[in-house]
Amino acid sequence: MHRLVFAMENCIGCRLCQLACSGRHEGRFSPLEARLAVVSRYGRQGLVVEARLCDACGRCVDACPTGALTMGDGVPLLNNDLCDRCGVCAAECPQEVISIKDDGLPRICDHCGGQPVCVAWCPHGALKLEEVSGQ
Amino acid sequence: MKSYQGVVLRIDLTNQTSRREELNREWARQFWGGKGLGYRYLFAELAPGTDPLGPDNKLILATGPFTGTPVPCSGKLTIVTRSPATGTVLDCSVGGAIAGEIKYAGYDLVILEGRAPFPVVVRIEDDRVAFEPAGDLWGLGTHAVEHQLTDKWGAEYRILSIGPAGENLVPFACITSELYRQAGRGGVGTVMGAKNLKAVAVRGTGGVRVADAARLMDLALKALRSDVLTDTNLWAYTDGTPMIVELSQNAGILPTRNFQDGTFADFAKLSSPAVQAARMAKKACLSCGLGCGNYIRTGRAAVEGPEYETLAVAGANCGIGDLEAVAAFNAACDDLGLDTISAGGVVAFAMELTEKGLHDFGITFGDVERYLEIPDLIARRKGIGAELAAGVKKMAERFGGAEFAMQIKGLEFPGYEPRGSWAMALAYATAPRGACHMSAWPVAEEAYGSRDPFTIEGKAELVRNLQHYNAFKFSLSLCDFWAVSWETMAELLSAAVGEDLAAEELQLAGERIFNLARLFNVREGFSARDDNVPPRLVKDALPSGATAGKLIPPDRYAAMLKEYYELRGWTDDGRPASVKLEELGLAELGRKAGL
Repeated sequence: MHRLVFAMENCIGCRLCQLACSGRHEGRFSPLEARLAVVSRYGRQGLVVEARLCDACGRCVDACPTGALTMGDGVPLLNNDLCDRCGVCAAECPQEVISIKDDGLPRICDHCGGQPVCVAWCPHGALKLEEVSGQ
Repeated sequence: MKSYQGVVLRIDLTNQTSRREELNREWARQFWGGKGLGYRYLFAELAPGTDPLGPDNKLILATGPFTGTPVPCSGKLTIVTRSPATGTVLDCSVGGAIAGEIKYAGYDLVILEGRAPFPVVVRIEDDRVAFEPAGDLWGLGTHAVEHQLTDKWGAEYRILSIGPAGENLVPFACITSELYRQAGRGGVGTVMGAKNLKAVAVRGTGGVRVADAARLMDLALKALRSDVLTDTNLWAYTDGTPMIVELSQNAGILPTRNFQDGTFADFAKLSSPAVQAARMAKKACLSCGLGCGNYIRTGRAAVEGPEYETLAVAGANCGIGDLEAVAAFNAACDDLGLDTISAGGVVAFAMELTEKGLHDFGITFGDVERYLEIPDLIARRKGIGAELAAGVKKMAERFGGAEFAMQIKGLEFPGYEPRGSWAMALAYATAPRGACHMSAWPVAEEAYGSRDPFTIEGKAELVRNLQHYNAFKFSLSLCDFWAVSWETMAELLSAAVGEDLAAEELQLAGERIFNLARLFNVREGFSARDDNVPPRLVKDALPSGATAGKLIPPDRYAAMLKEYYELRGWTDDGRPASVKLEELGLAELGRKAGL
């Protein structure tokens, strides 16, 4: 099994990860339609760098009332046909990385089937796919 | 054409109304975006002789076809207006992420016109435009403005704002975004101040569609890996622009004590290792894999910077060999809304006027404590700041020192000594906005490269070609720091807009865009006599280092300029000839410029 990990010290805040994610999955480029979020901004105390990623906690799967979301090999998987577009998964996501499309379906990070586009685009290794022992 | 939103947002500050207009696609096809498209709209919309500080001047915020996409280094916003410092056309770019927000909000261009009856902030969230009274923000620095607005409306907003310098119409007031990114040159912030416009806050929640997203992503990822993150470009990540300090020192072109010397004894205190030692983090603009920004903390200030230009012009050129002091000067200028290049230039000029006994400003080269007081005095026009706020050209008219007034067309010099890079003299002199290093940067090939810097052989052609390249690249809103080829630009643009474009067509567009800027200036009365360099460059030999004994003989400069006009198809008076205008599809605009 793998999981996405974020090394803050390597992040320069370019957000290519979000642009690539939305381009791959939505066919257009929009940071808010990405399945992860990177924040890099200057607050009063200096530079703030944060990332929110799907960590496969499974809350969305547990909350899904129709069984449309199941846990695959370390990633949540969505069966569109079973989804009743209730949006509970998005509301339950502690990372707030599930958003809802215009057609009501949720945007679920599935690690792009094992080769995440965000990792491929990250220029300095801030995003990585790390192997973890299976359960 | 895909990759455009097809919408221009026009904001009337006088009446506090806004309207959406269809993008002129014919112009977009010829001028593309950013610099070029901004020029085209400004040329069409400004009557000749428009007062840069009057309500009829416009401020055009221009994105490009790659804005908001993952094309590397495409995050820049271009701001186009008529310059209050020079009277020329002015385009000035700023990084960060605000260009993306404008595009995601649904606009290719935002045109701000008129003059608000009282200080306002324009708030744009997608198709909603609001005019918020800004009386309580007037007088504040840009940092406080950004913090207050993001506290109120959310951290997702990206903001352009001015400080007291813009409010007080200092002609070299800049626009700040994300605290440390600036549209620095030529007084874009002054125009905002004249419009009573304290800030523009933008949030966009939409997206950008291109003709072939999968192909654009393939090409862009390939470019990122094999063309951006390479040894040629990676200096921007490892060091950023402070790396240039040592290059300039070695080449003898580090402006020192108001261009009296080309080397600086304390250069090492301003060079990259010193900056890296104080570095806390790297920071990139939207879509940039290089992340040139160095966020540093010193005993005096935290700042993203100082960039090379600041280290050179506000450091060595003021005799300040102290990184903490330059960082503090930089942070103060960012917050007050002053261009660090012109601010450094006026301080250095005042120091030399004092040294030469022409006028006693009470400041001398290397006096750190007095130097650090000056940004605030200029921005608020207090004490000697009232005189320095005039800029170098007007200071010379009043106090003398025209021989060493380092400005062209009223814009103060950036950080490259042309006596050690003769093409740079031509680049400064023929740049549309005055002494500017962004129109062409031939130092890379001469002073830092392998071409003989002390000859005019081939330099007219070099400068002309670089000017076309930058004119086009900046019309795609790509950053200077990606040395992208014409062919790569053509491939990426073809995938984005859905046409099969060849490099040659883009090169012609670069020439068209550069000539349009010239037409604007000709229409405003500029001619060959304005393409001259300060007397110091052709009269005084430099004293030390690789440029010891060097000046630019006046006949050599004249010959280089003449060759340049001929190559360009311009008359001896520096006007684009009708054959050239016809070739570029600019004949009608030429007639409007009186040609």
